[in-house]
Amino acid sequence: MIRVHNLTYAYEKGDSPVLKDLNLHIAEGEYIALIGPNGCGKTTLIRHLNALLIPSAGEVLVDELSTRNSKSLLEIRRRVGMAFQNADNQIVGMSVEEDVAFGPGNLGLPPIEVRRRVDEALTRVSLIGLRSRPPHTLSGGQKQLLALAGLLAMEPKIIVLDEPTASLDPESKKKVLTLLRKLNSQGLGIIHVTHSMDEAALADRVLVMDQGELIADGSPGDILSRVEWLKTLSLAPPQITELMWQLQQGGKDVSTCIFSVEDAVEEITALLERLRSSSNFCFPRKADGHV
Amino acid sequence: MYRLGQYVYFESPVHRLDPRVKLIAVIALSIIILHVNLIGLTTASAIALAISLLARLSLGSVLKTLRPVLPFFCCLFLLYIFFTPGRPLPPFPIGPMQITYEGLNLGILQVWKFLLLVAAASILTMTATQSEITMGLERLLRPIRIAGISSHDVAMLLSLALRFMPTLLDEMNCVSQAQLARGANFNPRHLSGKIRAIRYLAVPLAINIFRRCDELVDAMEARGYQQGHRTYLRELVLSRSDYCLIAAIIIISIAVVVG
Repeated sequence: MIRVHNLTYAYEKGDSPVLKDLNLHIAEGEYIALIGPNGCGKTTLIRHLNALLIPSAGEVLVDELSTRNSKSLLEIRRRVGMAFQNADNQIVGMSVEEDVAFGPGNLGLPPIEVRRRVDEALTRVSLIGLRSRPPHTLSGGQKQLLALAGLLAMEPKIIVLDEPTASLDPESKKKVLTLLRKLNSQGLGIIHVTHSMDEAALADRVLVMDQGELIADGSPGDILSRVEWLKTLSLAPPQITELMWQLQQGGKDVSTCIFSVEDAVEEITALLERLRSSSNFCFPRKADGHV
Repeated sequence: MYRLGQYVYFESPVHRLDPRVKLIAVIALSIIILHVNLIGLTTASAIALAISLLARLSLGSVLKTLRPVLPFFCCLFLLYIFFTPGRPLPPFPIGPMQITYEGLNLGILQVWKFLLLVAAASILTMTATQSEITMGLERLLRPIRIAGISSHDVAMLLSLALRFMPTLLDEMNCVSQAQLARGANFNPRHLSGKIRAIRYLAVPLAINIFRRCDELVDAMEARGYQQGHRTYLRELVLSRSDYCLIAAIIIISIAVVVG
């Protein structure tokens, strides 16, 4: 769906490039997490995917439409929806539904079709009850959902989200992440730029960037279990993974390919079982020990 | 938060009216009042009153919207009564001060005219939502496209300004709180202090606005905004009665201006 071919980009001619000879292929319906330290070029990369930036050298193709061709600009932006970190600065409508109607309106769709898409998008993010509210009365989480609805109304093939959960409280964060999973299961591609490795673990594929280059590309299992390596990139691995890594460093026979508390409990229980059966070491029982 | 003249929803013929009719009515009124005498003005005021009753707006809520402009009109009134030449009203002249019959007449008339216009504008904003007004303006301005200006852009500008007003107010409060927390004094008695306070607020606020603008432009482009044609959630359609009203308003205005 998206092909990035030898992409090089410098903000000013003569500056050292922010992106260096980057190659990437994204298939339809993939859920991708893009991680990397601050200033590694993540934001610059995603801005190339919907032609907000044009490569200094190389090429970006969205379904064979080149971002260099200004005629296909609108179609590229329809297919690749993009939302930024601060939802407040993306809302342009005076009411929730008018904001969602902004994208379809730009596509020049007839009012009946705009109405259908607005209702559908608001239903998908469960904001339909707030349709006539002015945007400034929404909470941070609701604004982020509204920004998502604005993208969905364009009926994109893939949506690119730049740290969508950065300023949300845990409850809204969970809502947004659950929604992303659900949208992905309905066939929508997602590129999720994040600093949280816990969120990256939800993706099917993780891309790691550093200093303008793509330095790793694999499943969350491959990438996030490399605890030491992530630390050298000043990325914090998920805490639960780090716990397993510490245990492993201490000589325990456990996997570091663990990203959730449930998996960790299972792995540690298995370890304890093994230890119990292989030695006479006696564990204190709940009844006679201090808990 | 500015609450005067806020849209109030009622089921009424005035609310149902196409926003273009209401806009044209207000524009027509602003032309008409330049050409009317006391009788015309009384009639216009009576019509405005009838419309506000028809819209089920309480008289008090309409009059309340005049309060912020009152100090300005009081000054205007004083200027008129003191500085219009003519026959002096007894017991004047007292020393250099003098009030004339003509001044009093003119002062009352002019202030009344402006107050009526403000009240009419308030009735407009109380019976049409901001987005209806924006849409109405967009449609009314479509003919200017010949002059190379896109009415869509004008409508976009207006709706963005309205959309970000509360956001910027929040931000201003935020900045002023931050300044207060660091010991700034925003309640000074002297003019110089007031000016300093404005400077402390205006500079960070302006910088924030520019930052917001950058992000807004990106977001709008990413959502496919470009110059030229676009469509909206609702298309305004003029009914036959809307057309009749517009015709009536135009005929009356021409009659008043010419006659």
